[in-house]
Amino acid sequence: MANTACFIIVSRNNIPIYEAEVGSAVKREDSAQLHQFILHASLDIVQDLAWTTSAMFLKAVDRFNDLVVSVYVTAGLHTRLMLLHDSRNDDGIKSFFQEVHELYIKTILNPLYLPGSRITSSHFDTKVRALARKYL
Amino acid sequence: MDPANTPLGKMLLEEITPVIMVLNTPLVEEACLKNGLSFIQMLSPFCSFNNIDVPVRTASDQPYRIKKFSSRLFYGSDIRQPNLEASKDRLKQVITQASEKDISELCSDPPQIKDVINSFESAILPSWFHLFNKELIRNVSFSEHEAFDHPVACLLVVSSRDDHPINKFADLFNTSKLPSLLNDGAMDPKIMKHYLLLHDNQDGSLEKASKMLTEMRSTFGSNDCQLLCINSSHDGHIERQDDPWSLFKPDASIGKQLGCFLSNEDLIEIRELMQNLSSKHIIPYMEQKIRELNQQVSATRKGFRNQIKNLWWRKGKDDAVDSPNGPTYTYNSIESQIRVLGDYAFMLRDYELALSNYRLISTDYKLDKAWKRYAGVQEMMGLAFFLLDQSRKEAEYCMENAFNTYLKMGPSGHLNATRCGLWSAEMLKAREQYREAAAVYFRICNEEPLHSAVMLEQASYCYLLSKPPLIRKYGFHLVLSGDRYKRMDQINHAIRTYRNAIAVFKGTEWSHIKDHVHFHIGQWYASLGLYDVAVTQMLEILDCNHQSKATQELFLKDFLKIIQKAGKTVKVLKLPLPKINISSLKVIFEDHRTYASTTAANVRESLWRSLEEDMIPSLSSGRTNWLELQSKIMSKKFKESSICVAGEPVKVDIVFKNPLQIPISVSSISLICDVSSKSDETESGTNNIIVQKNTELKLSSDWDMGSDNALYTLSEVHLSLEENEEKVVQLTVTPKIEGILQIVGIRWKLSDSVLGFHNFIDNLGQKNIAKGRQKAKHSLADNLKFIVIKSLPKLEGSILSLPKVAYAGDLQRPVLELKNQSKFSVKNLKMKISQSRFLKIGNQESMNKDFPACLEKPNNREQGVHPIPSTTPNDTFLFPQDTLIQGGTPLLLPLWFRAAVPGNISLYVSIYYEMEDVSNIMRYRILRLHYNIQVLPSLDLSFQINPCPSRLHEFLVRMDIINKTSSEIFQIHQLSSIGQNWELSLLQPVDTIFPSRALMPSQALSCFFVLKNIHTSFSSEKKVSSVPVLLGSDLKLGPQTSDEQLFDTASFPLAAFHHSERVFQGTSNQDPNTVDFILITRPLKNTTDPGISESSHLFSHHVCHCSTSSHSPIWWLLEGPRSSYHDFSTSFSEINFKMTIYNSSDSTASIRIKTSDSASTSEGNETVPQSPNSANQTGWHYASLTQDIKVSSDVLGTQMGKSSSLESVSPFIWSGTSSTTVQIEPKSMAEAPLQICIFSPGIYDLSNYILQWELLPTAGSENIETTTSSGTSRGYPYYLTVLQST
Repeated sequence: MANTACFIIVSRNNIPIYEAEVGSAVKREDSAQLHQFILHASLDIVQDLAWTTSAMFLKAVDRFNDLVVSVYVTAGLHTRLMLLHDSRNDDGIKSFFQEVHELYIKTILNPLYLPGSRITSSHFDTKVRALARKYL
Repeated sequence: MDPANTPLGKMLLEEITPVIMVLNTPLVEEACLKNGLSFIQMLSPFCSFNNIDVPVRTASDQPYRIKKFSSRLFYGSDIRQPNLEASKDRLKQVITQASEKDISELCSDPPQIKDVINSFESAILPSWFHLFNKELIRNVSFSEHEAFDHPVACLLVVSSRDDHPINKFADLFNTSKLPSLLNDGAMDPKIMKHYLLLHDNQDGSLEKASKMLTEMRSTFGSNDCQLLCINSSHDGHIERQDDPWSLFKPDASIGKQLGCFLSNEDLIEIRELMQNLSSKHIIPYMEQKIRELNQQVSATRKGFRNQIKNLWWRKGKDDAVDSPNGPTYTYNSIESQIRVLGDYAFMLRDYELALSNYRLISTDYKLDKAWKRYAGVQEMMGLAFFLLDQSRKEAEYCMENAFNTYLKMGPSGHLNATRCGLWSAEMLKAREQYREAAAVYFRICNEEPLHSAVMLEQASYCYLLSKPPLIRKYGFHLVLSGDRYKRMDQINHAIRTYRNAIAVFKGTEWSHIKDHVHFHIGQWYASLGLYDVAVTQMLEILDCNHQSKATQELFLKDFLKIIQKAGKTVKVLKLPLPKINISSLKVIFEDHRTYASTTAANVRESLWRSLEEDMIPSLSSGRTNWLELQSKIMSKKFKESSICVAGEPVKVDIVFKNPLQIPISVSSISLICDVSSKSDETESGTNNIIVQKNTELKLSSDWDMGSDNALYTLSEVHLSLEENEEKVVQLTVTPKIEGILQIVGIRWKLSDSVLGFHNFIDNLGQKNIAKGRQKAKHSLADNLKFIVIKSLPKLEGSILSLPKVAYAGDLQRPVLELKNQSKFSVKNLKMKISQSRFLKIGNQESMNKDFPACLEKPNNREQGVHPIPSTTPNDTFLFPQDTLIQGGTPLLLPLWFRAAVPGNISLYVSIYYEMEDVSNIMRYRILRLHYNIQVLPSLDLSFQINPCPSRLHEFLVRMDIINKTSSEIFQIHQLSSIGQNWELSLLQPVDTIFPSRALMPSQALSCFFVLKNIHTSFSSEKKVSSVPVLLGSDLKLGPQTSDEQLFDTASFPLAAFHHSERVFQGTSNQDPNTVDFILITRPLKNTTDPGISESSHLFSHHVCHCSTSSHSPIWWLLEGPRSSYHDFSTSFSEINFKMTIYNSSDSTASIRIKTSDSASTSEGNETVPQSPNSANQTGWHYASLTQDIKVSSDVLGTQMGKSSSLESVSPFIWSGTSSTTVQIEPKSMAEAPLQICIFSPGIYDLSNYILQWELLPTAGSENIETTTSSGTSRGYPYYLTVLQST
């Protein structure tokens, strides 16, 4: 499992709709905002990159010191699954993204879920954390 | 684009220029200082020429012209590696100076990000970056491996006041004082010299100086000596349009003008001197040198042979030198000479030549592992490529290579790496590769926070300038940079960067980012004492329920600390703590509708309207109705606004929510209102706008006025909210004068220090209001506007002593109290009660009697016919005509309340009244009362009535009572049957039924009574009149000896309630064969505490429509002996019986008596009137498969047959006819004789007969279908004991 990993789902209008610190490292007080800053900044890069390729998984689009940002862009709503990590397990990250994408699709299939709103389902949260333990 | 015109090009043309070493005597310095300038400062403005136009011929034979040329002047003592500490201080100074300038700007609002993107580069970039970068680059000047910093010429200056100037010149160029570069062999000590004699005109005549000059010329050669006269102006007041020194000495004191003694002639002379020096000496000297070196290099290094030789030689030297800096090269080594050649060519803009030489030498250095020199050469190659505007790739590659090489060297190369990075970043910027430039800036950040802060900031601007702009990166790097500034206590800079970052992160949903930025900038503002701005920033983070509890506490604490430091109460519009749920805003006001309680106001208007429908006067009736009066007074504009009455409060309900996990205290919550008096209101609509504007002003001024005001009174509420708590707050405003009342907003005080405001009217988007007739299209502002009319009498009312919780059946006498505080009276009172089943209006006279004694049956009174007061349900109760209420004297009206059924009961009472004073706008008002009562189940009462088998017209009544309460003990007091023709009597003495008379919780009890129909014979009373006359018989279930009185079930409240119960419980058909019961119980008197008022409780339980004729319309009675003696030895016994049959139905009945000798008949179980598949069954019914039914019925039949056959040895037979048929007229009796023969003594059950009856249809009766027209009844058990007679 990665030491530091921060997973955020960003909706089409650049609002984080799901956030989770999935790393095994001890949480530091300011890590949450640093991770947000890095991921937020890398949206700029993703924005450019997403249209140049047909692949959904964009690996290592951006980096900050030793932290790497990998992104998975969904096809329909242009939702971005963003992972900030310090490990180099591309295959694991790819599978993680694919499985989370599946979970996310199930979430948006919920007629009571308004697309673009915050995902508050605890079920989703536990599933994502389990996947993170499995793949990262 | 011309590379020379780019910022980098300009910088290179300025920085990589020939160095002139200046050596002077102290007296020279002294003369110059009169002007506030050092010698070099005095000359510097004249060192660069934009149009010098000198022809230059370097290696090639083709000459070219140089237009721009400049040179740098340095004191000999300064030509050395700069002191690192000093330079650090200098850098810091640059930054500090820059921060002092723009403190006022810091407080302004951050710029819009769109504006930032669209503005020009120069507008965005702070100008001091340039200075800072220059200082950084100068950190590595005068290194030994870079020949462009080596002095090209030496300027020796001696004052005319010096003694023996010739000797001085010699002394000046003393090797011991010379810079180390010249001494340690890094550069050629044979340097071009130029001699200058400085003459101060204030010191005396020129003659002495000119004499010296000739002496000098004779000594050093006529070309190299010059005389410079300064300070020609004596008065010291030379006015100059543009100060040439302002750029070079910006920190000069303002009071003293620079160069005040220098006349214009002096300046011209200085310029000529420098031009002469540059064009006639330096440039030709450099040309000369280039040509010389070029020849030398060509001879030794150019050509195939030389290269092979060189390569061979280097290879051989490979393992000889292994110092970290590589081998040292003296000035006369070929490598140094190539480098000098390259640098000179570079300075004279012959970049091709420079490049070829750099290339040549770079491989050598690489092979020699002289990394610093290699990197330096690579750097110069990159710059040369750039200036030639060739091969961008190669330029970048060279810079990158140089940068990496410097870094590889370790800490010693960092400064060089920084310079290299700055240059390459500039280069990338010049080519608009901003993203790459940003990456370079990011890479040259090092441990030194101040340095990296500036670099990060520059990087951030690069992101902003790139196309398309990377806004988020810009923001992120600004924040990073700001953090580093903060670490070095450069608060101003930190704020500046964060302020720009806020423009990026404005309104972001990324909560942590938002909190971080606002929190820190807020703190920094506070540390600068800019509390107002600090507060506005901190406000952004107060609503932070996504953060941990500790963080929330920190945020709130810091916020309050800042507020405290600010030293005054801060007024904040839209304070986010606590949260106001604007959609919960609810306004309760009273126009003609007044409410006794809040709950009454919360009831839907339509409910009230339906209740009051026929009570209030209709709108269209009459000419002088209230509506017309109203519309006359109200201008058209305000027609739709609501009306309220002066002196009566308008209530506003709103929900406050604490979003945090820590408790907060909120105090002094009150409304912000605006009242304009009536005279303004009649003016035109412009006034409306003014009112709106005034409210804004009043926000600030009104606060301290408190709640006492000549125009209106406000209420204040204090509360504390626990974590995540929501509370409804009710606020009131009471206008005192007529006019217009506008509720503007709400204000409160957080933690006793922050004043929060919320303006309702800002939220025009939300349309949600409250009570009354407002339509949705009305804006909130309209809904919050009230026309205040003259104060009116208002009726206040409440029902006193109405319980909140009651047990079912509880009968109480609450009192309605009506009060009118004003001196004007109200009249024409009407009242309507929604649920008359629960609430009745009592008589005025019963007020004075005790309860429940007033219900007791008077001893002396005959039981008679009492007409029930005509209170049909949902009728309007009219108060007596002469009822006037005024002046605070209350009107009391007794009511009767009975908790009829368990559940939650809502009682709505509406009272209509009219004003005495007709001149009012409103003629009538309505008082609305609403009460919720919870009724708990108490006793479960059921009755079962069976005809008495032994007597006609008598019935056995079984009463089942279950006490369903958990704690109450009931004492059974009285059971009454209602109906004129019933009489109830006890079957057993009371004491045997319930000795204790008390019914314990969850106790069940059954007891039996006899009910007698006493009036069957009177045909006149057969028809029950539609006016119910409640006659009944009462049965006291207490000890007969006690003095407890029976309650009069025929008197008002009980009878009235009973009537309602009948209506609610019963069907509409007036079946005379039904009986109603009233059970009256009382709670057991508490013996330990007799004083408690429990005893006044009375419970009445009504069970209506208990049918006595539920089985069949036929009653019969078998009469005969119960026992007989007979001597069976002689003969069998014959016993005669008489069967009396009564037809209680309305039609003639044909009855057949069938006797059977078997013990039980197999057919006709009980009186099953219909078989399951009977034709007249409707609705849902069970229709199973026919086979199933047959099978099961067969089984049943055989079983029954078996059982009957077992005991079928009948010891007696019916004699006489086995079947008798009689016809009985309605409501009449008939008799039929029966006889049995008995053969042996024993006890016999004579129930084995059946009565088959059929109602014959009579002419005119149409309800045959609904009643059973035929049936079979089995015989009653009749036991006959026959004994053997002796």
